[in-house]
Amino acid sequence: MSRALEDGAALPRLAFRAPQLSAGVLLALPAAIVLLALYAIPLARLMASSFVGPSGLSFQAYGRILGDAYGRSLVWNSVRLGALTTMIALAVGYPAAFGLAFARGALRSLFLASLFLPLAASVIVKSFAWSTLMRSHGVVNEALMSLHLTSAPIRLLFTQVSLISGSVNIFLPFMILPIYSVIAQIDPRLTEAAATLGASPVRAFLRVVLPLSLPGVVAGVSLVFSLSVSAYVVPTLLMGESYPTLATTIARAFLLLRDPALGSAAGAILMALGLAVVVASHRFGEKSAGQ
Amino acid sequence: MNAHVATTNLSKRFGAAAVLDRVDLAVERGALVTLLGPSGCGKTTLLRLIAGLMAPDEGSIAIGGFDVTRTPPHKRNVGVVFQSYALFPHLTVAGNVGFGLQGKGLGRAEIAVKVQRALALVQMEHFGDRPVRALSGGQQQRVALARALAVEPSVLLFDEALSALDRNLRETMQVELRRLLKDLGATAVFVTHDQDEALTMSDKVAVMNAGRIEQFDEPVRLYERPRSLFATRFVGVSSELRGTVAARDGGRVRVDTPQGQVLAEGDLPAGAAAVVSTRPENIAIGAGDGPDRNRIEGRVRRVTFQGSRTRIAVDVGAGGDFMVEIGGIFALPAPGDVVMLSWAASRSFVFADARQAA
Repeated sequence: MSRALEDGAALPRLAFRAPQLSAGVLLALPAAIVLLALYAIPLARLMASSFVGPSGLSFQAYGRILGDAYGRSLVWNSVRLGALTTMIALAVGYPAAFGLAFARGALRSLFLASLFLPLAASVIVKSFAWSTLMRSHGVVNEALMSLHLTSAPIRLLFTQVSLISGSVNIFLPFMILPIYSVIAQIDPRLTEAAATLGASPVRAFLRVVLPLSLPGVVAGVSLVFSLSVSAYVVPTLLMGESYPTLATTIARAFLLLRDPALGSAAGAILMALGLAVVVASHRFGEKSAGQ
Repeated sequence: MNAHVATTNLSKRFGAAAVLDRVDLAVERGALVTLLGPSGCGKTTLLRLIAGLMAPDEGSIAIGGFDVTRTPPHKRNVGVVFQSYALFPHLTVAGNVGFGLQGKGLGRAEIAVKVQRALALVQMEHFGDRPVRALSGGQQQRVALARALAVEPSVLLFDEALSALDRNLRETMQVELRRLLKDLGATAVFVTHDQDEALTMSDKVAVMNAGRIEQFDEPVRLYERPRSLFATRFVGVSSELRGTVAARDGGRVRVDTPQGQVLAEGDLPAGAAAVVSTRPENIAIGAGDGPDRNRIEGRVRRVTFQGSRTRIAVDVGAGGDFMVEIGGIFALPAPGDVVMLSWAASRSFVFADARQAA
């Protein structure tokens, strides 16, 4: 009887122990399988095909992009779109994140809804909406003319103004939300403590709030840059042929030119750009946090 | 004006509720003063108003003789130790302690010396390079204190600064902190809801209730001669009888209670509903000698032996427990015993019975 009890007592402990050791592995397994099958393997094949030339292994596809003025302009256009979008989104989104964090009650719900609801609309719909706003007899031009700020419609659509404002508008929530989630965690007592130690509001912001908000900035910059540098719909609908980027080149290479090596190489370069900014901003964040 | 910190007619409302109601408080230079009261009594609001972290609706605040009512917190030279310590998580211990000094245009070497001196005061001089996240609660508390001391503030304010520590450490810190502040000659205001902490640390205690200061006195005086029923109950245990004032009798009143007539210090008109209170340790078992003693009978409910003293709950027919505390272990009564209780009239106090009056 007592033996059976002891065995019984020992059993659940064993049964409990074993899965605990591999709980992390088990929980990550479904996601790992999905990522491996649907992402890692196709990506590896894509990378591999970027090194295929007419006679086996070759860097020819990379040479065609990086060794040629037109090819380099593709890279430059992508980087320009990503960098401008990221910088403007940061300048607009950083204060907005504080507005969101300080807002209470109905105002906060309104702010959050106005951030989340646009995410539910497809990027294609939003890009079309922008092209409608920006065309020669669109809302923006009609408004400018009725205010007598201009006499004739200004060309907005298919200019960089429409490209960047559309891109900032579409990717802005990805800047605001991570910054907001970080500054909402900052203890308000910290700024009070800084004040009682003689720090003016500006100094308290620069020395306490800004450094503590950097992880949010890093996340926001990483997200917005990697989304906007590789955006396809936005430049296609708001700029068309006049602003070819790596992303539009990938589509052209696969769909029109039937040149998988070129498309894959463009994809690899794009991925390298995104990774570089993600890694660099994390390094920067860690360095600033550790000072 | 002699007071180092003085508030005059200070009021603060949140919406319709008055959190502070015309508070006058004067803290002398070098005094350690505690604001004591239950949560919601306005003690933290009063502290935040002195620090400048909130603006009053009415009244004024003076520090060192200067009106600072409209001065922003960073120009008041007031050090605050917060309940959560509010250490800057991205800085080291030395970075935290030096934070206030860096804004003052001092040289790097001078700051390092002052930081080291402040850390030495709290025995943390070897922790300067550590990140604050790696510290225990007690160590964080010390760093928060060193950070506030480093800027040599005119006044130090402590907002429940010890309440997050465990009990043993808290009691050690109370004694240590009092000695340190006395050595430095600092003027300090503490906020706490812990009566032991208030009595241990302070030169004077302000008992607060519903946005007002009920009594502002030295700890001994506060305990021995409470001015209100609230103060009596909040600082120590109160053994109470209810009744009606029979007559005034030369600075005392005679009160008729269901337990018999008792004498108490205080002044109430004849016929007033009254509560007579004394401290459990004033009460003896037995009739005692002398004419100026109150005597009542009761039946023992519980006897709780606590080592150096014994707490006895007696049913005297007044509803709740009538608490008696005696030293020594001789002649302890047993539950069910009928005992005679007596205590000096000079140690009983009479207050208007708000429950009856309302």
